[in-house]
Amino acid sequence: MTAPGPEGDKALLASAQAGNMGAFEELVERHRDRVYGLALRMTRSEADAAEISQETFLSAFQHLQSFRGEAAFGSWVHRIAANHALMRLRHRRVVQMAEEELKAPDFSERGTLLETPAPEWSKPAEERALDAELGEAIRRATDALPDAYREVFLLKDAEGLSYEQIAEATGDSVPAIKSRLHRARLALREAIDRFYKEP
Amino acid sequence: MYTCQDSINLLLDFLDGEMPAEVSAELREHLAGCPPCVEFVESYRATPGICREALKAKMPPEVARRLTQFLRSRLPPQGVP
Repeated sequence: MTAPGPEGDKALLASAQAGNMGAFEELVERHRDRVYGLALRMTRSEADAAEISQETFLSAFQHLQSFRGEAAFGSWVHRIAANHALMRLRHRRVVQMAEEELKAPDFSERGTLLETPAPEWSKPAEERALDAELGEAIRRATDALPDAYREVFLLKDAEGLSYEQIAEATGDSVPAIKSRLHRARLALREAIDRFYKEP
Repeated sequence: MYTCQDSINLLLDFLDGEMPAEVSAELREHLAGCPPCVEFVESYRATPGICREALKAKMPPEVARRLTQFLRSRLPPQGVP
């Protein structure tokens, strides 16, 4: 039994690089949920997510010998998944929601915040139970973001990529990425706030 | 003097710690006199973590089975060439 986490991944990686397919399969098992989850949220398609998962791990295997382990195996494989998802999105032109429709807080003409956040927010994180309905509301709100906003939010806030890594993957500038990330966070914050305020 | 709107527009850089000291000081000054904005900052700061939790997914067993089959059919049984 290999230790969980990055240390265990290192041992499995070394074994897979030495030709042990069982070790590679264990790495796949450890990371497939996150790869699938990222692909699913980025593409909003279960079929695409399943295919991206296959492409990702095949690609990881094909480049296994050149992976030197500077980054954790998980980060590396999630970046591969993000790139595959981005490529697929680039080829899929869908009618996009106008950016102006992104939810944002309301201000008075003098720039004063018109609504106070729900009291639920002030509770410590562990007391803010994530119930199934809130989870569903967040998934709906994430899926409703325009692709370019959803991508950035998922890559930065869900996957933990740096702005520079996202810029490299998307070909966009860091200021553009930051602007989208901010708008996406505001829209998702609004969705959660509305959920808390629902009677 | 910053408005709520100015302050909220600057939140990303503020929380990233990437902001000139004088801008940060002006923002803090606004927050010191604006409890709704303080609550807003907290809710904005909490959003990524709540979403991360909500967006966790599990690969369905059938998809996992097909992934294993796919990899076994495409990869050499003896491992890395």
